[in-house]
Amino acid sequence: MTVRERPSGPASTGPRGLGDRDIDGMLFIAEMYAAQVDLLAVVLGGTVPRARAAATRWRRLGYAESGRFGPGPSWVWLTRAGLAACGLHYPPISPALSRLAHTRAVAAVRLALAARAEYQQAGAFWRSERRLRVRAGSRAGLREHLPDGEVHWPDGTAVPWAGECWAIEAEVTRKTVSRTTSVMRELLSRTGDYGCAAADTAVPGRPARHARVLYVCSAGARPTVLRACDALGPLAARIEVRDLPRHAALTVAPDAAGAPWTGSAGTGGERAC
Amino acid sequence: MLIRQYVALLLLRAAARTLWRLIKVMAAAAVIIAAAPVSLVAAGAAVTAWACGWPPRRLYGAALWCLPMLAVWLAAAALSAPGSPGVPSGPRWYRVAGAPYDAWLSMWRLGVSGHVAQAAVMIAPAAVPLGLLAGGLAWAVRIYRMETGTGGLSPGSAISFDRRQWRRQARSARARIAAPGSVPLTYRNGDVVIGGTIRAVRHPAKPIAALPYSRLRSHQVVIGTTGTGKTTLLLRLWAGFMATALSRQAAGTGRRPLLVVLDCKGGADSRRIADRARRVLRDAGARATAIWPDDANLSLWDLPPGRLTTTLLDLIEHGHGAAAYYTDVMEAIVALAVHAPPAPPADSADFLGRLDAAWLATAYAGGDDDALAALRSGAHLIPDVALRFRSLWRRLGTGFEPAGSFADADAWYCILEGTAETSVAEAQARALVDMLASYITGPGRDADVLLAVDEFSAVARRLPIWALYERARSLGLAVQVSAQSWPGLAADEDERYRIAATAEGGIWLLRTPYPDPVVGLAGTRKYVDSTRRLVGAPSATTGPVAATMITAARWSDEGSSRVQLMPVVDPDLVRGLGVGQAAYVYQGGATYVQVKRLVAAPAALPRAGRRTQFPLPRPAADDTLPMAAAGATDAGGADAGAPDPGGGIPAAPAAPAAPAASAGHAPSARPPVQLSAFLDEVFGREAR
Repeated sequence: MTVRERPSGPASTGPRGLGDRDIDGMLFIAEMYAAQVDLLAVVLGGTVPRARAAATRWRRLGYAESGRFGPGPSWVWLTRAGLAACGLHYPPISPALSRLAHTRAVAAVRLALAARAEYQQAGAFWRSERRLRVRAGSRAGLREHLPDGEVHWPDGTAVPWAGECWAIEAEVTRKTVSRTTSVMRELLSRTGDYGCAAADTAVPGRPARHARVLYVCSAGARPTVLRACDALGPLAARIEVRDLPRHAALTVAPDAAGAPWTGSAGTGGERAC
Repeated sequence: MLIRQYVALLLLRAAARTLWRLIKVMAAAAVIIAAAPVSLVAAGAAVTAWACGWPPRRLYGAALWCLPMLAVWLAAAALSAPGSPGVPSGPRWYRVAGAPYDAWLSMWRLGVSGHVAQAAVMIAPAAVPLGLLAGGLAWAVRIYRMETGTGGLSPGSAISFDRRQWRRQARSARARIAAPGSVPLTYRNGDVVIGGTIRAVRHPAKPIAALPYSRLRSHQVVIGTTGTGKTTLLLRLWAGFMATALSRQAAGTGRRPLLVVLDCKGGADSRRIADRARRVLRDAGARATAIWPDDANLSLWDLPPGRLTTTLLDLIEHGHGAAAYYTDVMEAIVALAVHAPPAPPADSADFLGRLDAAWLATAYAGGDDDALAALRSGAHLIPDVALRFRSLWRRLGTGFEPAGSFADADAWYCILEGTAETSVAEAQARALVDMLASYITGPGRDADVLLAVDEFSAVARRLPIWALYERARSLGLAVQVSAQSWPGLAADEDERYRIAATAEGGIWLLRTPYPDPVVGLAGTRKYVDSTRRLVGAPSATTGPVAATMITAARWSDEGSSRVQLMPVVDPDLVRGLGVGQAAYVYQGGATYVQVKRLVAAPAALPRAGRRTQFPLPRPAADDTLPMAAAGATDAGGADAGAPDPGGGIPAAPAAPAAPAASAGHAPSARPPVQLSAFLDEVFGREAR
C-alpha cells in the first residue's frame, strides 16, 4: 500500500492535499509523541522508503520534523503546525533520547493490538498517554500515574470484553517492586477519568475505570512486574502480563522490520475521537 | 379580731410574695434587655432547636465553631489603635479584656442613634457564641425539666413535649436526607451511611447515622413488618457492605466481597426485590449479581465427593428408629455412586444414571472388594433410592445443575419458595448452605462473606437457624437474619433469644407490634423521676371534670425525686415508627434513624443478539477473573426478549451448550479464556 495523495475529491482530501494515509500517519505520530519510520510504514500500510517519503513531504509542509538518534531508523515527530493541522492542541515536543526506547515500545504495542482483526472489528480506540496527559493537566506527574495508553473496547461489539477499558503499561526498564505495585494498585483502584476532580479519582463504591491492566514487558522488566503482581494479592487477577512484541526493541534495522504485523494498523476509526 | 389579724397576715404574706416575684421578674427582664444581643441569639437558637428537634449539643457545637471569629475579633482589638470604636484605651491586655464591654457600650450608642445594623455588627463576635451557648443551656434545661417531670404547665406536658419533639426530630431527619446527594452511601473511612438520625439514646447524636464496616461483618438481626421499609434498609446495608468491601479490596486492605441472600419467601415479591437488589448492588460497584435459580445455577456437583455425599443425603428426608436402617443403606448407595471411578458425577443425570446396580457393578468391577460387598448387600434397595432422588431432582429443578459457583458473581440472590413449596425450599436451603460452607473453606477462597437470610424460619425445619449461626461463626462469615416479627426469627423462643443475644453487629427494629423481647435485650437506663404536688384541685375528683380542674390548678413547691430505670428503647415508639424509620439497638443504646432510600439506576435495555451468560468467568490456572469492570460490563437480558434488570452481568456471546455429563467439571467457554487467547496471539504466551 502506498501513501496516496489525492488532491481531487473533497471527501478524501486533508490539509494541503494530504491523503487519508497521511492523516492516519500524522495522527499516529501526534498521539505517540514520535515514531520511527519502520513503525510509520506499518501505519501507512507501505514500505519504509515510502514512509520516509511521506515524512519528507510533511517536513516540507512544515508539519513534521525528523532526525536520526541512533543506529535504528530515523524518528519523525510533528511540529506545532502539524499538531494544529491535526486539530490537536498538544504542546510540541521533540523526542527525548531517554524516552526513545519506551516510545517505540508503546507504539509497537499499539500496532500489535491494532493489527488484530478483533481490534479492528470492534472499533477499539487507543487513548494515548499524550492525550491523557493533556486531559490531566497540571496534576499529571505530580499526583497521578498515567498509563502508557488506554484501550477502549466499545459496547455492542462481538468481542467478549466489549465495553471494557484497559490500561496499557509498556515496561522497558526495571523499576522497584514497590513502585510497580503502587502503580498497579493506583491503576486498578482508579474510578474517574483522567482530568476529573481529585475527589472522583478513586471513589469507593464506583466501578473501577480499568477492567484490566495489560503489562507488556521486556525480558529485563518482567521479573519485577511478576513479583509486583505477587505482592498485589487478589487484585492481580485483573493484571495481564505479556512480553513486548518482537519489533518493540529500539535497535531494529530498517530492513529487518519487514512486515511484522498482519493486517492494516487501521487508525481511521480513531480520528473521530 | 384574731381572724382579722390572721387574714391581714395572709394578705401581707401574699403581697410580699408577689412583690418578691415582681422584683425577680424585673431583674430578669433588666438582665435580658441589658444583654439584648445575647438574649436575642439565645432565644433564636433555642426556638430553632425546639422547632427542628435538635439536641443542645448541636448548639454547643455551633458556639464552638464561632470561637475563631471571637479570637480574630479579640486579636483585632488588641492590635487596633487605642480609642478606636469599640476598643478601650490602655495597655493591650486591658484592651482585650475590655473589648466586650466597650463593644456593648458602642452597640447601645449606635442603636440609640438609629444605626441598628452597625450596632449588630459591632456586638456580633461576642454575642453570637455567647447567645448560642446560652440558648443551648436553656434548651438543655428545658429538656431536662420535661424528662424529669419538673417542667410544663400540666402533668401531661412531658408526654406531649416528647411526642412533639419526636415529630420535629423525624421531620428534621427527613429534610436532612431529602436533598439528592446529601447522604453518600459510604464515608471515606468505610462507614456505611444509613440515613438521618432522628434521636439517639446513649449513642452519639450525630446528624447522619453511619455504621462502621466491622458491624456489617458481625451478625445482625432485622425485624420489621411488611411495608415498614425493611427492604430499603437491607438494600442499603448490602450496598454499603459491597461498596466498602470493594474499595477495601481495591486499596489492598480487604478481601473480595461476597454477598449471599437467601430469600426464603419466594414468589413475585422476592423477584421484584431481587431485581431491585441487582440494580442497587450494580451501582455500588458489584460486578455481577446473580439471581438463583432464575438466571443462574450453582453447581452442587462441584462439591468435594465426601461433602457431596453428605449434602445429597441431607436433601432427602429420612427418619429415625426403624427407618435408620434404610438411611444407612441409602448412605452406602449414595457414597458408592458418588465415589465410583473415574470421577464424581457431573450432574444430576449422571448421578441418577449411577443409581443402577449394573452400572455400579461395572464401575467397581476388579477394584474395591468392600464396595462390591456393600453393593451386593444393598442392591435390592437401589431402585427405591433412585426413585426418591429422581423425585427430588424433579422438584428441585435445574438450579443445582452445572455450571456455576459462588465465585461467578459478587452477589447471589437466592430465591427459595418457602411459602409455596416448603419441603423443596428446605432442601434447597440445606444444599445452599453446604455449598457456601464448602466454597468458603476451599483453598484460595479468601472472601468477606455476608450471608443475609430473610424469613429463614420458613425453611429452618431441617437446618435450625442457630446451627446456621454457629456454622457461620466458625466459618468467619457474617449472618444477617431478617424477619417480619419476633416469632418469625426462629422456631422456638430459645432459638430467638439465642439469635438476638448473639447479634454483635446490632439489632434493627422497624415497626413491629411485638418489640418487647428486643426492648428487654436492649436494657435499661437511669433517669430521675420527679413528683410534684398540684394545688388548687380536689384530688378525689375523677373524669373530665378533674382534667379541667387539673389544667386550672398550679404546681406547688413540694415534691420528690428518685432515680428510676426505664427501657433504652421505647416499645411504644417502635410500635409507632413510620415508614423508613428504624431503631438500631447496639451496646445498650439505641439510635432512631430515618433510612435513606437508595435509588437504583434504571434497568438497561437488552441488546440485540446478546444475552446473559452464566457462569460468569471464574479464576482458573491459566486465566483471570475481571473483578470490577470499569462500568464497562454491561447488562444483557436475563431471558431472551425480557428486559434486563441491569444487574451488571458482563454480556458475552452465547456460550456453546454445556458439555455432556461425561465431560464432568470441564469449564464452559468463558470470555477470559478468549481474552487470554487473544493476548497470546498478539504478544505470545502469558509470562506468569
